[in-house]
Amino acid sequence: MDSPALLAIAALVIGATAIGLVIRARSGRVVVSDASQAADARLAVAGADVTLLQLSSPVCSACAVMRRVSEELVAGERGLARRELDVTEHPDLASAHNVLSTPTTLLVDAHGVVRGRIVGAAKPAEVRAAVQSVRESIGAAA
Amino acid sequence: MSAPGTSSEPGTQPGIDPRGPRFGAAITAVLLLVVVGLALSGSAVAATAVLAALVAIFAWGAFAGIRRHPWGRLYATLVAPRLAPPTHREDPAAPTFAQLVGFLITGAGLVLHLLGVPGAFVVAASMAFIAAFLNAVFDYCLGCQLYVLLVRAGAIRPRRA
Repeated sequence: MDSPALLAIAALVIGATAIGLVIRARSGRVVVSDASQAADARLAVAGADVTLLQLSSPVCSACAVMRRVSEELVAGERGLARRELDVTEHPDLASAHNVLSTPTTLLVDAHGVVRGRIVGAAKPAEVRAAVQSVRESIGAAA
Repeated sequence: MSAPGTSSEPGTQPGIDPRGPRFGAAITAVLLLVVVGLALSGSAVAATAVLAALVAIFAWGAFAGIRRHPWGRLYATLVAPRLAPPTHREDPAAPTFAQLVGFLITGAGLVLHLLGVPGAFVVAASMAFIAAFLNAVFDYCLGCQLYVLLVRAGAIRPRRA
């Protein structure tokens, strides 16, 4: 094998590793938004101050991981609810909220305003912190 | 990434050992690098033969299901018995869909190459390599993420009940 072939192989391995490291760093990252979007009351679970709205797909292994994490959290925290929708059945939601990958978990307040999002599966402590910061932003706005 | 005590009851959702598809992706990734290497060092016939074999294997996984995939059988008979049981199992739908994406990309590369499009071969093999590498090393299913984009583009529509 001559050097262009070896160079290409090395570049592919290094490039793929770099992509993987970026994906790993971004996965589970929490973004708290400025609540400028219009409220959509259909998104929130009635009676909850924060709803974890998980957008999933049938071809998604991380969705099951995120489901376990948020189910555990919801069981232990008052005022927190969760629901899960399949993007196949709700392409409009995926477009309206610019969902590019699953799972994307939207943090929705009682009025149906999206206050933040978590892309990918996150650790329980990260989701708890995200819920906390959304509650603080709701409190600051009130 | 597994939470102890939350694994579902055995039998309710059989699922597959998630390490199986990753093992298979590692073999596929190495073979795709071989394809790129052969193509760039002038062994076009050999490169075409290996890529054609990979297209066939992707088709097998996509249409017969990931459980019947040749690498999956290899994993089940040679590797899994030497490892601890999996901490969780996963739905075979995701890795099967990933095989379909792999089939479409490598298949398109092969067809374009045979039609004489320059570079199609190396580009398709490189794209498939990146996806297989991310699956094997980072447990990230790039093909699966295309699903949402296809839904948004209207290419995948909700099932009518």
